[in-house]
Parts: sequence; C-alpha cells; structure tokens
Amino acid sequence: MRTQPGIRGLGATLIASALVFAACGPSASSTAPSAPAATTGSEASNAPSSAPSASLSGTTVTVWTMEDATKFEALVQPFVDSSGVTVDVEAVPWDAINEKLTTAVASGDGPDVTQIGLSLLPTFQAADALEDVTDDLAAHPALDSSTFLDAVSADQLSPDGAVTSVPWVADTRVLFYRTDIFQEVGLAGPPTTWAEFIAAAEQLATRGEGQYGYYIPQWDAPLPIQFTWQAGGDVVGADGKIDLDTPEFKKAVDLYTSFFEKNTVPTASDFDQTAGFISGAAPMLISGPYLASAIKEQAPELDGKWAVTTLPKDVAGTALFAGSNMGVWNGSDNVDGALALLDFLAAPETQVAWFTATGSLPTNKAAAADPAVTADPNVAVYAEQLADAKLLPLIPQWDQISAAILASLNEIVLNGADKAATLETLNQTVADLQQ
Amino acid sequence: MNVTLTTRAARSVTRRRPGSRGSLIPYLLVGPAVLLLVVFGVLPIVVAAVVSLTDLDIGGLGNPDTVRFIGLENYQQLFADEAFWEALGNTAFFVVIGVPTIVGLSLLIAIGLDHSQSRFFRALRSFYFLPAITAIVAISLIWGYLYNSQFGLLNYLLGVVGLGPVPWLSDPVVSRFSVAGVAIWRATGLNIIIFLAALQAVPREYREAAAIDGAGAWRTTISIVIPLLRFAILFVTVTTLISWMQFFDEPFVLMKWPANDAMSASLYIYFQGFRFNEFGFASAASLVLLAIILAVTVIQLRMRKLNDD
Repeated sequence: MRTQPGIRGLGATLIASALVFAACGPSASSTAPSAPAATTGSEASNAPSSAPSASLSGTTVTVWTMEDATKFEALVQPFVDSSGVTVDVEAVPWDAINEKLTTAVASGDGPDVTQIGLSLLPTFQAADALEDVTDDLAAHPALDSSTFLDAVSADQLSPDGAVTSVPWVADTRVLFYRTDIFQEVGLAGPPTTWAEFIAAAEQLATRGEGQYGYYIPQWDAPLPIQFTWQAGGDVVGADGKIDLDTPEFKKAVDLYTSFFEKNTVPTASDFDQTAGFISGAAPMLISGPYLASAIKEQAPELDGKWAVTTLPKDVAGTALFAGSNMGVWNGSDNVDGALALLDFLAAPETQVAWFTATGSLPTNKAAAADPAVTADPNVAVYAEQLADAKLLPLIPQWDQISAAILASLNEIVLNGADKAATLETLNQTVADLQQ
Repeated sequence: MNVTLTTRAARSVTRRRPGSRGSLIPYLLVGPAVLLLVVFGVLPIVVAAVVSLTDLDIGGLGNPDTVRFIGLENYQQLFADEAFWEALGNTAFFVVIGVPTIVGLSLLIAIGLDHSQSRFFRALRSFYFLPAITAIVAISLIWGYLYNSQFGLLNYLLGVVGLGPVPWLSDPVVSRFSVAGVAIWRATGLNIIIFLAALQAVPREYREAAAIDGAGAWRTTISIVIPLLRFAILFVTVTTLISWMQFFDEPFVLMKWPANDAMSASLYIYFQGFRFNEFGFASAASLVLLAIILAVTVIQLRMRKLNDD
C-alpha cells in the first residue's frame, strides 16, 4: 500500500515522484490480444453502431480502468478483432487513481482512455486531463447524449457545454431490508415514506440490546445530500455555488440526527454494515448494488430473507447517481482510436455484456431496459431508482465540502455538539472553501 | 618535551603535504552520497518551499500558467485552520505517549533478552522482531479485526471475563490509545535489536569489575550498563521522535476516513495534498512540520551535549 510520505514535505515528495515516474512511462500493463475470448455472448462481434475506419488498424489504445482487467480485456476483444486496434488495459485500483492522475498530469504522460469515477470528474476536469470531444460526437452516434440515462445526460455532466467524458457504468443507492426480521416485528412491508422509515427503525430497534433499526455509515458522504434532495431541495444554489443554508438541508440534518437521538442506529465508527445486515443487528441499510453482491457471497443462506426497494420518500425519493464515465486523455496521440473504443463501450450490446460479466449497471438507455438486465428483481429496483437519481455537485471543492459536512454531522451526533452552532460554522466553512 | 611535540606535529604536517593530489579523494568518496542527498533530500525541500508560496493545485499542474504566487497566504490559512492545530495536538499526544513507551519498553525487553543465549531466548528475539517486518496492511487487517466493536476478539475476551465492550476505534479518546498501541507494538522490534547490539558491546570486564565490587544485577544495570548505552538511547530516542512526529501509517490504515480523532499532522498533510490536491497548501503544512521536527531534534541534541559537558 502507500508508504509514509517523507518528512521533507509532501509537495516535495510529489514533485520527486513525478520526476521518477516521468522517466518510467506506462508500465506493467497487460496486452489485450492474449486475453481469453469473451464468454458473455457479445463475441458475435456485431459491429458497434459505427464501425471504426480501417485506418485505425495497427494503432494502440491504452486504457486505465478500475475494473477487473481480465474481464475488461474479454469485453473489448470483439472491438480488437473488428478494428485491428490493440487495446492495452492497465488496471488501476480505486485507491490509487488520484495519485495516478496527479503523476500523469505532472508528467504529461497519460493513457488514451481513462475511466473516471463520477466523484473524481471535477478533479479530472480541473486538471485539464480530458480531451474536449464535443465536435467528434457527431461521428459517433452511440456517444450521443440522448442514448444515455437522463441523470448523466450531457447537460447534467457538463453544464458549460463541453463534453469531456461519456457515461460508462451506473450505480445508485437503494434501501436494503431484512424481510424475515420485518415479519418478526410485525412490519407489513418496507417503508415508503420518511415517517414510515423512522417508525420502522424505532420498531426494529426494540428487539433488544445490540439490535438496531438502521445504520448510518459515518463515511457515507452522499447520504445527507440524498436526504436534502428527498426533502425537495438541492445543495447547489441558483448561483451555482454550494448553499447549505436552506430549510431542506436543515430538514435532512434533522432526519439524520433523529436516528441517533432515538438510538436506532449504532454509533461505533467501525460497525461493519455487511456483517451487521447479515447478523440482523442493522436490518435496514441504504447502500449500493455492491452490498447485494457482498451479502450473496458472504451469506448465501440468507437468500430470500432480504430484499431491496427504492428509497423512502419525503417530497421526492431521489437517490445518488454514482458510477463511472470514460474519457479521452488530453494529449492522447490516438484520439480517433480512443473515440472508436468509447463508441464500442457505449453500444447497448457491450453494455449488456458487461452487465452479464460483472453486474455493473448500464448507462445506455436501451441496455438498461434490456430483458437480460431487468430479469433480476433486484436489478429492476436499481433500474427504477436510477430513473430518479441525481449526480453530486460537479465542482472541484466538493470533496472538501462533503468532508466538512460529514465532520459536522458526526460532531453533532457523536460528540453532542450544538446543532445550530455547528451548522453555522459549516456554512462559514463552505463559503470559505468557495472563495 | 615541548620541542619533541612541535617537531612531531611539524613532521606529520610535512608528511601529509605531498599527498595534495590525494585530497580530491575524500570529496570523490562523499560525492555520490552528497549528490543523492541534494537530489532527493535538499532539492525537494527547496521545491516544496517554493510551491508553498503558490496556489498550486491539480489545475495548476495541468496548466502551469494558472499558478499564482500568493506569498504567505497558505501559511496564514494554515495557522487559521483549527483542524491543523488539532492534528498537531494529536501528534503531540502520540509523541508524548509513544516515544517514552517505546524507548522504555524496548530497553526493558532488550535487557531481559540479553540475559541468556539459550534457544528459548533466541526464539523470543524473533518473536519480538516479527511485528517490525510485517506489512502494515496485514497489521491493519488483523488489528482491525481484533479491535472491531461488533465481532472483535478483544471485546469477546472482555465479555468472557465479564467486562463490558470497549469502543476501541470509535471513541475519540480510546481510539488514540488503540492506534498508538499498535504503533508501539510495531516499533519496538527494531529498537530492541538496536539495544541488544549495544548491550552486547558492553565490555564483560566492566560487569566483572562491578561484580567483584559487590554490585548486584540491578545495581550493575542501573550504574554500569545503562550509562554505557547512552548513545544507543539517544539514537533510538531521536529516530523514534522523528518518526512519531511524522506518525502516519497506523491511523491511516486503522481509522476510517474521515474520522478526525486520530488525525496526525502527516495525515492532515496527506489529505490536503493527495485527496484534495491542494499542493501549495500541503507543502506549506509539510514545511511547518519539517521546521517543528528540526527544532525538536536540534534541541534534543543540544541538551545531550550540555549533559555530556
């Protein structure tokens, strides 16, 4: 993992490592042609919406992805076969992508295509790391904004009009609940409103010592924002700046803190949500599809005793739209090849194949509605929730603001800080960060 | 006698003079080390010092034209940031808890281990050294499980003897001790080896002489052995102090972000620099930390000198 940054200063370490890495260039990447053939049904090699021109044959496209490299290589095999482009896949761990980006920006030595977690999109854009491909979209109908889910349409992703990345996979938050425990305490069904949510948590928490109704992860930064959306508000003001001095945000904070006031959630910072859900200590959770995989893997015997549903509503039931985009690296010497690959990745067949291989939700509308995708009842719920999902604010200071929000909320619920005063300080911090 | 001394001195000077060509050799010998030190030690500090006077962030890295020289603004902002002071306070807490414990504990264990060369004691030596060579990721996983408040072994054992659970990593105060505990456990191994080496360098004659004078084992250790270890103790103290002022690994792997309870100064710098990409600001913070470490080390060495004089 990471080693300790030296005494002599991080800035210094950074520059030094930038120099070192600049000399190394891209390394340790595996090449696609050796990959096993796709097992996903997409190897029929039906050409994507616009077949890449023959001139691309023989060129190489380097891809940075946080996905499983072997599966990704298998996915792009049909593209490799039909276009003659070599796809060089380099797997980057989620933890390392920010350092990788920093080094690449400092050295000017990046890939051709990179996966971008939506939370890091503002950072990539601020770093000017992504090629503006607005004018190239006409030649690639699969990349047209209208083919993607509404939450990640071009005007949502880039309000200023310049398209620097296109959607790749989708992720959202839904309510996980234990049907068996609900039955046991006499709850008819999952909560659909905030009032029912609070009541269900209270009732579930009456089961005794160490048994809770719900769990709020102290690191779940999007949660208070989702609550704000559900209260009918937004954290972005009319001037495009983050504004938390709204009745809706206060309402969200009240909901957040109410669970702690009523002791219906655990307060331990190292509470493990998967273990808590499996043991029944936390029979309700708001989490993403990855939790479903974790439960299936760790507790297959729990099958049939849990379900997912869309988030409880106040004014709305809006959830977070997370996931990843793909973008062309600014300075790539194979922009055409990169765009051809993006075109292939956005095609409905590819997106369905990727869902089959990994369970990652498609961002392409047609793929999201494909029976192969919606057959799973859980996935049907994810798809329904994705229709009412929203991106977190795409501004560079968001990470700091969101850390400040979490710190303030934790200060209130864990250390008993005064709510009004803490929120006052938070508003000041948010204003300072956006100067 | 005076004359002899002078001539001897003069002779030695004249003897050295013909080797003026050879006087390059020392420089050649230290050259590579100095070069490495300058390139990887001094130069980065200078770069960080310059960067700390700018608003360099990720955007500036991409477009160097947008980087502005902002004077001491980063430092003003830093000193106004409560979180930085809190991080410094936490670091001080860790230093105060960790350094004396490590020096004392390592010395104690080393003296114990020095008692015998038997196979059992040799095995014990490896046992104490194991944490020092274990990867920090493995350590964090294992201790994370031990400390866990839901299914942790420590709380289970406490439960067996009828004691209530301890919020090892969730209580702001307890978590600092938990994190420091792991770091102490991890750091003692290497220092025990250093002390053991120093102990074995203590001449046997001294101990024998003390024994003849009627000193017991305790007396010998206090009056003979420990004073002879003072350079080893100084070395261990200085290096431990420096590494604890940069305390990073254990809170980084054990505490879930963004828990601030065990946020050390280095961790604060890491978040500013590598999570928020505020390179100018992080450079300023790291220079402040460097200044503090330098000051503490210099004071320590000075005090040592005064003691020796």
